[in-house]
Amino acid sequence: MSKAYGWAGSILRVNLTTGVISAEETSKYKNYIGGMGFGYRIMWDEVPVGTKPFDAENKVIFGAGPLTGTGMPCSGRTNITSLLPSNPYHLITDSHMGGHFSPAMKYAGWDAIIIEGASDKPVWLKIENDNVSIEDASGLWGKGTFDTTAEVTKMMGDNTHVACIGQAGENMVNLATIMTGKSHSAGGHGGILGSKKLKAIGIRGTKPVNIAGDRSEWIELDKYMMSLIGANNQHVVPNSPQPWAEYHNPGSRWTGKEGLYWGGANPPVETGVCDPHDMNSVGLRTQKGVFDHGPLAEDLTVRMGGCQACPVRCHSQLKVSKLKDYGFSEYIANTCMGYFSPGGIMIKGWSDGEGRGEVALLGRTLGASLADDYGVWCNYGQIGRDFKYAYEKGILEKVLPKDEYDSIPWDKLEAGDPEFLVDFYRRIAFKEGELSHLGEGASWVSKRWNFGEDFYTDNAYKIWSPQMGFPVHHSNEAASQVGALISCMFNRDAQCHTHINFTGSGLPIELQREIAGEVWGSPDALDIPKNYTPMNEYKAKFAKWSIVRNVLHDSLTLCNWMWPMTLSPLKERGYRGDTSLESKFLTLATGINFTEAELDLAGERIFTLHRAMTVKQMGTIDMRNQHDRIADWVFDDDPDVKPFTEGTDKLDREDMELALTMFYKEMGWDEKTGAPTKETLVRLGLSDVADQLAELKLLP
Amino acid sequence: MSHEEKMGFWEKTSNRREFLKFSGKTVAGVTVSATLLSLLTGCQDTASVSGFPLATGLLISDSTRCSGCRRCETICTMNNDGKADPNIARVKVGRNYNFGPGGPKNDFHNKAGNYGNLEIIPDTCQQCKDPVPCAEACPMEAIYAEEKTGTRVVDTEKCVGCGMCASQCPFKMITVDEDEKKAKKCFLCDGDPSCAKMCPTAALKLVPWKEVHATIQKNKHLFA
Repeated sequence: MSKAYGWAGSILRVNLTTGVISAEETSKYKNYIGGMGFGYRIMWDEVPVGTKPFDAENKVIFGAGPLTGTGMPCSGRTNITSLLPSNPYHLITDSHMGGHFSPAMKYAGWDAIIIEGASDKPVWLKIENDNVSIEDASGLWGKGTFDTTAEVTKMMGDNTHVACIGQAGENMVNLATIMTGKSHSAGGHGGILGSKKLKAIGIRGTKPVNIAGDRSEWIELDKYMMSLIGANNQHVVPNSPQPWAEYHNPGSRWTGKEGLYWGGANPPVETGVCDPHDMNSVGLRTQKGVFDHGPLAEDLTVRMGGCQACPVRCHSQLKVSKLKDYGFSEYIANTCMGYFSPGGIMIKGWSDGEGRGEVALLGRTLGASLADDYGVWCNYGQIGRDFKYAYEKGILEKVLPKDEYDSIPWDKLEAGDPEFLVDFYRRIAFKEGELSHLGEGASWVSKRWNFGEDFYTDNAYKIWSPQMGFPVHHSNEAASQVGALISCMFNRDAQCHTHINFTGSGLPIELQREIAGEVWGSPDALDIPKNYTPMNEYKAKFAKWSIVRNVLHDSLTLCNWMWPMTLSPLKERGYRGDTSLESKFLTLATGINFTEAELDLAGERIFTLHRAMTVKQMGTIDMRNQHDRIADWVFDDDPDVKPFTEGTDKLDREDMELALTMFYKEMGWDEKTGAPTKETLVRLGLSDVADQLAELKLLP
Repeated sequence: MSHEEKMGFWEKTSNRREFLKFSGKTVAGVTVSATLLSLLTGCQDTASVSGFPLATGLLISDSTRCSGCRRCETICTMNNDGKADPNIARVKVGRNYNFGPGGPKNDFHNKAGNYGNLEIIPDTCQQCKDPVPCAEACPMEAIYAEEKTGTRVVDTEKCVGCGMCASQCPFKMITVDEDEKKAKKCFLCDGDPSCAKMCPTAALKLVPWKEVHATIQKNKHLFA
């Protein structure tokens, strides 16, 4: 085979029913870039409507992209596409994990791995470059993800990277993860591997990722990009006053400063002043332990960690000795929701009454240990709010059999004792009793236990989409209608960070608005927080661009928690970043000339295919009314205040309908229904998709 | 690093005999990373003069600062080989990343690695003392000491990619590039290692012998 550039050139297909392992060429999918794009195209082509997530006919696609494994900054994401069991319509979604897995796929020569069919006994998949085999996993079944990874690595040797499920995935819990690298989880698709009896994929690759362009150009581009990079979430302003900084903002994740340490290192490592021009302290800018847990975490932070090729280290790696009392290693790593969601389950707070005290830190790290070893997903923190509703409304007393109810250590929950989590996660992971239906996700459990209307109308429960049962994730509180639109468009919580990275950058709002004007056509694309204005076309452009870049990143695969580099920490550039970087890297990697606009068009194609698949699965073109609805609390909060007055982030119903119309227009979708039009599908090179939808009478 | 700075760096290096005196007497009881220990172990004194004078400086790693991003691996090969290829990287982190050197132990939770006590150990070329195992093993006599720095480098004209050097390296720091059929060995990027320049946590440094000595005596640790 001729030398491949950027892409590895081949896709691996493994049929677990027949045991047939085959390879096919990547080239036929190149219009879909990689990762998410490949996943959606393959699912569209191969998984018939009406397939249920745990059916053998469902497939799961592990996707890398043309930039994965190249070593360019923040390129370590793995995209996983399949049907989502927790979605009430079983709609297609993609879940993602960081770590080192997808780079290892590339080094083994694979752009994607398609898993199809189902084994009748536990197996794991062994991939050593071109040598691929299905192995017996009877000795692994029943183990947690930590031991599974160790066992697979023992069998394969060093440089092995493993993606696997824990007991939750084995038991086909809807809210189950696929885990890699101890702290990286992809939410919602773990049960699908369980249904296929695929415990793990171990991968060892010794091949290169070739680039078509000149190496010195690549290195110069890398250095240039490194000059524009910020801290975690591309926050470009430090958290506290710094000698080099014009601005600071306490919301920023750029926490590095003199006197702040990785205090658990021996000897401690000082984060220091982290001048943005110093390449050797980029990884010290984000002391996420302190950001997530408060000052107590400083002395427990052994180091920061994260993904392959990423200089921004966003996972805090902590030593919490008391974890040993619960049978876990004292070493634990995670970030953000991985630590926060166990706190959400502790609905009565922590025993010392402190939100960021010692007990909270122990509880959050214990919860992270349990969830990551069992492989339990939190539905972006929603499982705790589902539990809160059921507990506080007295529903659990009614729906749980008395002996089960009495066996649950409620006293520990009421007392704020972290040990409650040990009991809770075990029940979820092993599907023990009625309580474990919390593991089905908000949609299913709210129906099963007959939750009241207030579950959807009270903002305490943070449901964003009553139809899809997913929560807020950088929604109306993030750039007004922009965040709201983004949150309506996916089939699970939106994992888009393009907009929140921009608004959370720490720069003064007037400067943000000025730069917004340059990128999206008018400063009015961005509202002042809690001082919103009615919808306008620039907000629609901002929302579209945010999603297009998000899906591109999930296809290339780059981290949308860092990319795009819309802003930079450099005063001398007026804090401007460079939005053409992705296309420049891709051009150098593949040798195919991509302009920024051409690459964005590919993103539009991928996202429109996502929409078309949703239309096909739901069997309706009426996306506006059947899919894109928003919970009432978003409009009814602050009842004494009107929308678009200072001090509230509530939205207006009529204005939001207009927002949907304007967004559909930007996408070239039908302005009434929000379904992709034939014209747009053809323009995006999706004629065959249009033909299929026409046959199904699903074109507007 | 400019040419002048580079030359200045090499001038600062101490002579071999001075370092060896130090390494023989004062290492015991000093807290150093595993990488440095293995480095020092390879340098017990012989005063004999040979065709392989000691390299005047070393790339050393600090496992306390390493956060496991492995940027060094791909920067090394992009810079020197024009591709991203951790397998042939002259700095090796990936193999120790999850479970530390030697892979998973039964009590892996307490051993090195991301699944263990979180210590990530980057392996660097030791630029071994004479007799240099890789050079000794090479049937083509393709490995020689570079004139200015003493760094042991592969003459790509002579190398036939037989892999004898890789098999004889006690630290498994040489890899044969199967595409090019050439041995890939650390040559310190001619005195200005790209991996160290771009390490986002300053976990890799090119250190003259004298400074290795001084740093350990002062701080009991490499880069503190």
